[in-house]
Amino acid sequence: MSELSDVKAEEQSADIVPDGATKEPEKEPEPAKPPKVRRLNIIGRRNVFFALSLIIIVPGIISMATHGFRLGIDFAGGTELTVNFANHPTLPQVEAAVDSESAGGSVIQTTGGGYIIRYPPLNAGQVTNVQSDLQSKLGPMTVNQILEVGGTIAGETIQLSLLAVAIAATGLLILLSIWFHNVPGGWRAGFQFGGSAVAALLHDVFVLTGIFSILGRVLNLRIGEIDAFFVTAVLTVVGFSVHDTVVVFDRIRENLRVSQRLSFEQVVNLSIMQTAARSIITSFTVVLVLAAILIAGGPSLQGLALALMIGVVSGTYSSIFNAAPLLVVWRKLQPVR
Amino acid sequence: MHIVLSGPIRLIVVAVLIFSLFIDGAGYVYRIANHLPLTGDVAGLPPNFGSWQLYFHKGLDLAGGTHIDYQLTNFPAGQNRSEVQQRTIAVINKRVNALGVNEPEIRGAGTNYDRITVDLAGVTAAQAQRTIGAVSKLVYTKWVPDPKVTGGPQPGYKPALTGLTGDDISSASATIDSTGVSWVVNIGFTSAGATLFDNLTRENVAACPGDVNTSATANCPQRHLAIWLDLTQKDIDNWEDPSYAAKVTAPYDPACLATQAEGTVCGKLLTDPITIQEIPGGNATISGSFTQQSANDLATGINSGSLPVDLVALDVTQVSATLGAEAVKLSLAAGLLGLSIVVLFMILYYRVPGLLASLALLFYAGVVLALFKFIPVTLTLAGITGFILSVGMAVDANVLIFERFKEEVRAGRTIAAAVDAAVRRAWPAIWNSNGSTLWTCAILGFVGPSAVKGFALTLAIGVLVSLVSSIVVTHNLLAIVLISSRFRRASLLGVDRVRAV
Repeated sequence: MSELSDVKAEEQSADIVPDGATKEPEKEPEPAKPPKVRRLNIIGRRNVFFALSLIIIVPGIISMATHGFRLGIDFAGGTELTVNFANHPTLPQVEAAVDSESAGGSVIQTTGGGYIIRYPPLNAGQVTNVQSDLQSKLGPMTVNQILEVGGTIAGETIQLSLLAVAIAATGLLILLSIWFHNVPGGWRAGFQFGGSAVAALLHDVFVLTGIFSILGRVLNLRIGEIDAFFVTAVLTVVGFSVHDTVVVFDRIRENLRVSQRLSFEQVVNLSIMQTAARSIITSFTVVLVLAAILIAGGPSLQGLALALMIGVVSGTYSSIFNAAPLLVVWRKLQPVR
Repeated sequence: MHIVLSGPIRLIVVAVLIFSLFIDGAGYVYRIANHLPLTGDVAGLPPNFGSWQLYFHKGLDLAGGTHIDYQLTNFPAGQNRSEVQQRTIAVINKRVNALGVNEPEIRGAGTNYDRITVDLAGVTAAQAQRTIGAVSKLVYTKWVPDPKVTGGPQPGYKPALTGLTGDDISSASATIDSTGVSWVVNIGFTSAGATLFDNLTRENVAACPGDVNTSATANCPQRHLAIWLDLTQKDIDNWEDPSYAAKVTAPYDPACLATQAEGTVCGKLLTDPITIQEIPGGNATISGSFTQQSANDLATGINSGSLPVDLVALDVTQVSATLGAEAVKLSLAAGLLGLSIVVLFMILYYRVPGLLASLALLFYAGVVLALFKFIPVTLTLAGITGFILSVGMAVDANVLIFERFKEEVRAGRTIAAAVDAAVRRAWPAIWNSNGSTLWTCAILGFVGPSAVKGFALTLAIGVLVSLVSSIVVTHNLLAIVLISSRFRRASLLGVDRVRAV
């Protein structure tokens, strides 16, 4: 660390020039060309960006409150058979066969021409009965997967997931406060950095869960189901969101130390501009990888890939347009020096 | 940061690379060394070097098989719960071994030793549950004369139920006897069982008295007490059929019982020892020419008649092998597609540095895959996703450095100074951001539901290796390549202009 600050001190004048034309995040062939991107005033228009976030989050929260989620089998409990029939019966045929069992089953068609049949929890004998019944009605069938989840496990999975999000968020708040307590302003400023990052994180969690609630309940799409993979996605997004925010905050810390001439708002805006290219490029590569999983990854991973994609895009948006502006607002309300 | 560019570090990187490539290619090295065909399934796999096995451990969702979470209920009062759980695991192991499963995984879990999870590759849920949950009932029989019996181990005699069952046994264990040379099996009875057993052994001795070792008349069938699993009165009623009697008196065969079809007769005999003397006090010892293995087998067999607890299946997952193979293919395709897209993008956008970062990325992929084999990490679908995702995130550190590098060049630094400053200044951001991802992985790994633990582990390994690969490997490659003035051109570095040295 001491080594780092040495370099900054001696080389700073070349580095931070608020309106100079020496550094553009964009690749410009002519250095003399007016740097358009630098002039973007994100902090000044912060209310626009906050409003934009609310436009996505509020319907999501309303949907969560009124419709809840479409639960996957790990959370709802029950028995699920994933099957392929040799005779390729149509969906109504399969539904009729399942209805006539009066075991409370429901049928979903998969992309590969197979079917997913869900029942309330069945015991081992009932599972065998249901299978032989389906075979007698619809002809030879291959069972690709059988899932049986009891109520105990489903409840535990939900509890563990909520616990994990809570611990992760609290832990990150503490970690960030420690990492950033060395900005001018000390521990209180560190807490503001940590708090803003965690607020951006919660923003991303709400965007993701809200959109999935809408996809699952309001639009009734299978891809909007909440299962253990979705929990994985939410927690990964928690990590990724903070990952992005930390890069911006780190730059703010560096710029605060070396440029006393600028106001806090100017420093934040400058830092956002300096890191925006990196944030967008990284998210772009991650989104490319996720697109590959979405296209080639098979049905069980598609929900995960979609959730991660929403989360990554939201995480990048919030790190640029929410986290740092929020920090500015917080500083205005509670000046630290 | 100068230490990163030193010779020893470069040597270590090269050594790690060679070692990883060896582990990655271990399967082929093994096939070539043992003159096996290079593709396809052959005998002698998985590859092992000494006792060191190097291959990808596939989770059930990739290999196909059955996963069951059991809740243990009805713990016997007054016994150590952890021991009861261990005994239950041993019994399940014994039963599962009969199925011939490759690497069965039976683990204790639960906060109060009240869970057991079972992972069985290549077994259907119905088979697994029948085998594990089968209620084997242990019974003791004495031999009673029946002139019509011609076959079986004791011609002229058939077994008769004694009322002494597995419920009367508190435990059975294999130990070395007091002389310190032979293996024996100790059986402990409950107080009710002790009385019954005392009476039975007294009757045994009274039937043909004498010392079994010296007197020929003392060794009569009525002096034996046989232990069976699942022997029923119906079996005894069929005793006069010699072939039936011979089949039932074959050694206990759980695999046969698990898959029993109508009309087949399975072996049910555990042991048929002679009673040397009356045994009061509720502790019996079965001796004979036991090995450690056979004594343990008999003890487990006796215990399996009295599974100490009741098992309730909480959840059951069965994945067919074809679905697993399909999943492997799809996720491999997704991984390769993702990797090539990222490489293409990095080269187009960052030119020479991008190419070097792509090389570092290949190093990264090679090391991570080697670690998966080496640790070993059991790969699941979620785990592979974690790895693919970490490929995307591995680029991040490089992007941070390169963006900083461009800034430093624009600020008027020479190439060499810019590389150095870029790595140095990007480091806090790289460390803090990856630190927060690692923190999330740790939470997922310790608190998260079991399905996401594999994801957390692979992502964490990926993040750690990517830190090393970007800081050490990319930095070194940049330093080496940029010595040549041919590469120090603005168009190759993706910057506006380059200051002459």
